[in-house]
Amino acid sequence: MSKHQYAMVMDLNKCLGCQTCTIACKKLWTDRDGTGYMYWNNVETRPGLGYPRQWDRIGGGWKDGALQPSPLPTMDDYGHAWEYNYEQRLYEGKKQPVMPSPEPRSGVNWDEDVGSLNANENYFFYLPRICNHCTYPACLEACPRKAIYKRDEDGIVVIDQDRCQGYRYCIKACPYKKIYFNEVTGKSEKCIFCYPRLEKGQVNACAAQCPGRLRFVGLLDDPESPVHKLVLVHKIALPLFPEKGTQPNVFYVPPFNPPKRENYGKSILEDSRLPLDYLLYLFGPEVKDVITRLEAELRKAQEGGRSEVLQLLIGRDAETRYHVRPQLVQIQL
Amino acid sequence: MRIRQALILFLCFGVSALTAAQSGSKPAAAQSLPVATSSVSTDTLLSGGPAAWKQIAVKRVALNRTPPLYDTDEPATLDIPSVDVRLARAGGKLLVQLTWHDATQDATVLAEVPNTPPETRFRKVQTEINDRFFDAAAVMFSKQPATGAITPSLQMGDAEHPVEIYYWNATRGAMLMQAQGRGTTRRTGQIFPASGAYQSGQWSVTFELPDLPAGTPLAFAVWNGNQKDRDGRKYFSVWQVLE
Repeated sequence: MSKHQYAMVMDLNKCLGCQTCTIACKKLWTDRDGTGYMYWNNVETRPGLGYPRQWDRIGGGWKDGALQPSPLPTMDDYGHAWEYNYEQRLYEGKKQPVMPSPEPRSGVNWDEDVGSLNANENYFFYLPRICNHCTYPACLEACPRKAIYKRDEDGIVVIDQDRCQGYRYCIKACPYKKIYFNEVTGKSEKCIFCYPRLEKGQVNACAAQCPGRLRFVGLLDDPESPVHKLVLVHKIALPLFPEKGTQPNVFYVPPFNPPKRENYGKSILEDSRLPLDYLLYLFGPEVKDVITRLEAELRKAQEGGRSEVLQLLIGRDAETRYHVRPQLVQIQL
Repeated sequence: MRIRQALILFLCFGVSALTAAQSGSKPAAAQSLPVATSSVSTDTLLSGGPAAWKQIAVKRVALNRTPPLYDTDEPATLDIPSVDVRLARAGGKLLVQLTWHDATQDATVLAEVPNTPPETRFRKVQTEINDRFFDAAAVMFSKQPATGAITPSLQMGDAEHPVEIYYWNATRGAMLMQAQGRGTTRRTGQIFPASGAYQSGQWSVTFELPDLPAGTPLAFAVWNGNQKDRDGRKYFSVWQVLE
């Protein structure tokens, strides 16, 4: 375990699905050769196939102390990067319309807003995803090159590009499929939690750009940080698929609104629009307790009281949402 | 899990080391490698054509399969049972040609990356396929000659026997590596002359090594990209000693 642990909380009740985080990350980190198909940050519509397709069902992670098998997702699962024929159309005088190539057949946001039906009521929500910077990273254990390490000073999991040989055991081991292979460099890459920004006192690019203000960043072990309060004090944020055994450090406030038509005022646990089974699938059995706590806070506010939890979740300013500690960084020569 | 792996590795590698130790200071004939002296130029030998190598004696070296290193490994086949090795001294170099049968050619030509920063370019070179692995081969040797019962560890040498690994990949080309024990392999950033050709279900790869003295232990490895070989997931020979 690291001395400290940076963590992120995302409030799924606030995500707009605008992909601003995705683009912020893409422009900053994966606008290079070989990285067109990879999105260190992606936002997927749930219920849906996800990115890469079916990542939540194909394996990886831990069980009884052993790594679990998994196939490597294919390019069809991620979606090939495509380009448009702007040069021909705009500069070479060709008459054909602007078209993508290769023809898109899947992609990072392919099933956007598809949703599903629950007793004739439509539901869907957005699930933003980054590397979970796990406390027990399966990727780290799987790497025979010892190219992956967890930074002692802040718990961020990174891949040493000098040591990586592109064996891709890490991709198989990661139950969240948040490591990507760059065939141009022959090495694997992943979200670095924007550690160069954190070291300068700037919050992660995906969080800084989020118009929905749904991301909270700080040290899990810092009592002043919003993530500490949301996860450990108020206990209203949960990791995704806790049974995968890696102990993620990205947490989610589960979506619990809106209710079914004519069900206003009823608990989501009684008769929800968003099937409880699906939330149990994503977040495990603790999600029931979390929803109960959230609904209690909501009731408190609706009855004219003041809810510290909701005030924190509203997150009006950056000082509330982020608590970055650049002084933690140790220069390692 | 680690203890079980260590036992498996000992059974596989330790037995071969013990066999070598029992044979005394001279390698058993089965483990010695004949070397020819060739008057043909190194360039001609490197081009790898059969005509240049036809006079060179061939030694068929048995290949073994590494045991599964991880519980999550997919099963592997034993369909490359041996590699044919030819060695020739020429022009102050040691040329090594490895030939083996492989039913699938797992190689490609990757798009060339322009020598300009990606942010200045309209188009980037893209990852075409993310889950393919390529055929490869390697020659490993220790500069410490085999003396008596002491042989270098087959698992990438050891502290007393650092090894040089001349690695050739059907897509990424030649690269020189060094190691002194399992898990210590590192790329030196250097390359070396090598050539490879695939014809009629057979790879023929020629390595240009520095001239090595008699008694140098060499080992060979082959990777079959079709069954996702990479890393220690490969075929390997036990040590062979240069005559």
